[in-house]
Amino acid sequence: MIYRETGQFKDNYIDDQALFPIAQDRYVIYAVLFATFVVVPMIANEYWINAILLPFLIYSLAALGLNILTGYCGQVSLGTGGFMAVGAFSIYKMMVAFPEIGFIPLVIISGLITAAVGTLFGLPSLRIKGFYLAVATLAAQFFLVWLFNKVGWFVNYNATGMITSPPMTLFGVLITGPSAPPVAKYLLCATIVAICALAAKNLARGRLGRNWMAIRDMDIAAELIGVRPLVAKLSAFAVSSFYIGMAGALYFAVWLGSAEPTEAFDINQSFLVLFMIIIGGLGSVLGSFLGAAFLVMFPILLKNIMVDGFGTNTALAAHIEIMTIGALIIAFLIVEPHGLARLWRIAKEKLRLWPFPY
Amino acid sequence: MTIDSLSSEVLLRVDNISLAFGSVQALDGVSFDIRKGEIRAIIGPNGAGKSSMLNVINGFYHPQQGTITYKGETRKQMRPYQAASQGIARTFQNIALFKSMSTLDNIMTGRNLKMKTNLFWQALHIGPARQEELENREAAERIIDFLDIQAIRKKQVGKLPYGLQKRVELGRALAAEPDLLLLDEPMAGMNSEEKEDMSRFIIDVNMEFGTTIALIEHDMRVVMDLSDRVVVLDYGRQLADGLPHEIQSDKKVIEAYLGVSHD
Amino acid sequence: MIFFIEVVLSGLMAGVMYSLVALGFVLIFKASGVFNFAQGVMALFAALTLVGFMDNFGMPIWLAIAGTIAVMVALAWAIERLMLRHLVNQEPIILFMATIGLAYVLEGLGDILWGSDVKLLDIGIPQGASDWMLDSFDIYVEKLEVFAAVTAAIMVTVLAVFFQKTNVGRALRAVADDHQAALSVGISLRTIWVVVWSVSGIVALVAGIMWGSKSGVQFSLSLIALKALPVLILGGFTSIPGAIIGGMIIGVGEKVAEVYLGPMVGGAIENWFAYMLALAFLLFRPQGLFGEIIIERV
Repeated sequence: MIYRETGQFKDNYIDDQALFPIAQDRYVIYAVLFATFVVVPMIANEYWINAILLPFLIYSLAALGLNILTGYCGQVSLGTGGFMAVGAFSIYKMMVAFPEIGFIPLVIISGLITAAVGTLFGLPSLRIKGFYLAVATLAAQFFLVWLFNKVGWFVNYNATGMITSPPMTLFGVLITGPSAPPVAKYLLCATIVAICALAAKNLARGRLGRNWMAIRDMDIAAELIGVRPLVAKLSAFAVSSFYIGMAGALYFAVWLGSAEPTEAFDINQSFLVLFMIIIGGLGSVLGSFLGAAFLVMFPILLKNIMVDGFGTNTALAAHIEIMTIGALIIAFLIVEPHGLARLWRIAKEKLRLWPFPY
Repeated sequence: MTIDSLSSEVLLRVDNISLAFGSVQALDGVSFDIRKGEIRAIIGPNGAGKSSMLNVINGFYHPQQGTITYKGETRKQMRPYQAASQGIARTFQNIALFKSMSTLDNIMTGRNLKMKTNLFWQALHIGPARQEELENREAAERIIDFLDIQAIRKKQVGKLPYGLQKRVELGRALAAEPDLLLLDEPMAGMNSEEKEDMSRFIIDVNMEFGTTIALIEHDMRVVMDLSDRVVVLDYGRQLADGLPHEIQSDKKVIEAYLGVSHD
Repeated sequence: MIFFIEVVLSGLMAGVMYSLVALGFVLIFKASGVFNFAQGVMALFAALTLVGFMDNFGMPIWLAIAGTIAVMVALAWAIERLMLRHLVNQEPIILFMATIGLAYVLEGLGDILWGSDVKLLDIGIPQGASDWMLDSFDIYVEKLEVFAAVTAAIMVTVLAVFFQKTNVGRALRAVADDHQAALSVGISLRTIWVVVWSVSGIVALVAGIMWGSKSGVQFSLSLIALKALPVLILGGFTSIPGAIIGGMIIGVGEKVAEVYLGPMVGGAIENWFAYMLALAFLLFRPQGLFGEIIIERV
């Protein structure tokens, strides 16, 4: 009886097209936003923020980006790690060279740079489809990592090959480096992610989103009704890379603090984000968050249970973790290939009728 | 439409179109025209090249020979975007709807060419983007009204029954407000009631909006009832071209469809 | 000049090694339409098991090989039962994702069962330079690589005959085309899949043996799988001869680029050259050298 829509009539298109037409959904979102921006900063401790919330937010952003490209537009990409690297190195070079430009503009600019690179590597998608495109994106992945490794200019000729984030402040508060207050980092990331999620939802329900989905579902028919594949696919690559680039910038500058290209941005990163959108749900903003939450929290949970609970040694725990993630992927794909988002939607459908069975 | 009220202005003409896939000759020297405001039927046995002809008009296939003249401009081949932006819309033999999207969204994709706001405004969803979305939503709703599919507007089209999917596909084509509408077997797989509905829609589109229609159809009664002129294809070649009753009694056409009797 | 020939030969040999892995991919893709990302890990797993049997259980070589083959068949059976059966007729991307999951499972399992340190694999394949080549032509050629090339050639011939001429081969091709259609004419998908994945497992074992003998059995073996992708792009996903030729082109291309272009840009071009080469090919011929041209119909 709680989740009833009856009585909620829409008498104009504006209301009908609102992001959350059902009132109960709106209340949930307000509650979530309240919890995110008011409750969590008050009660969360440093460990939670650094180990769980920050990676969750940053990976959600990357997952949103990849979902736009692969989930909405249907272009498979295995280059996420490489693009995150572009974002990270962009912001690194700029932080060192132009620290006067504020942190947030720098994040946005790194996103734009990554968008340009992503669009370039997305050009093959006009000729190549499906698996073949996935392999082409691997070219981007391996090339970019090699580039950042080999070309000393990117790491400012640091012999270790690592980049470290210089201290930057935002509104007078430190937000990079180990002495920055975790709450500040958290609020920064939460704000960026919230705005980006809103933008993604808006794009998805507008003309561009429809064109993306049209290309995904049947690109020939889409072309024949006047959707230009060039514009649609490249815009998907551009927006996606923008998000992923920003995620990479935040990943390095705010969360890790320092990074080495072959470790932090390798192919496993690409797979991780891909798993997130598969488990979370392709073509779903909510799915991106659910998938990121799952794949950030699950290994930590597992490690805690195994190492602290059963006393397994960490190497063995790592192996078991890899196996379990693999097994979970398979299990998810068998049970619900459309991911957690679909499970959520089914739950909501059941809720609409509750307590009646049908 | 009576013959007198037909305008004699030619909207589309194909001249000597030949199309081959490797060694398979799909079309061989086909020429005919379509006059503005008429309903032109293209008929012929299976594999005659009818769909290929529509694909050539759309720009999906590029003929090796021949020209296409549309709205006065002659070309060797069409490009899909060109065809769409100059007012050619179509439905497909095997439904080509965007299966994961709703009815409303599918029809809205048909409005794509009428919408222009850029990415930035869309991300914010205020001002021009919002306004445009509303205007086109109204246009889409008019089509939904016309086709009587209000009840399924939010349903995912992949889950709709076949007949309704065909109707939604027609809606998507109409959303573009086309000058030339290409219908590839719109009645296929329908029962007689559904066929009557679809026929009514086609006639309405032609009479109310003045849309020129090219129609591939197998049901002869429908062809005779609806069309102003008919062209017959067989094995990629043109067999006959004329008024419905002329075609009906044309010997070559009868042979092609029913075969020749050997006495 | 001699140096160039050596580089090319070395590239060809490396290419044959890639082809061995690519062959496993092609088999599975041809017969089940699945792009088995786990192929490289399967090669690693097979090699690990072989070494494990020989070192930990002290089995003689032939017994160990037979044992490993049995393990790979059992693995194929398990994969069919637990994974493939439940994913009939899903979209290719879903199947692909599942095989990535499988790769992770096998990787973890291999590490847990046999340990993750580098192991030496020696089953008596002749090692070292071919004295005859050195003496006659002054060219350095590894005997091991020649052995691998010959083995690959034999396998390819056997497999090609198998696919074209036998009933099972025809059934396999039917399954690759359309799962449901194959089911509807009474082909037992399950048996076919177990057969194919077993054969692929054996191919993986051979690849694992060759690679393992050459550079030791270690994790980097599974990364070869990623290298096999450009091979498949060039050769087409469904062509057995294509896998061989694609492998050789990639092998030679990589080696030549590394030796002649590498020094100009700091080396390690091998990391990405194969992919760029494949990408360039795709732009001109989206279906690869031997792949089938897909005519899209509307």
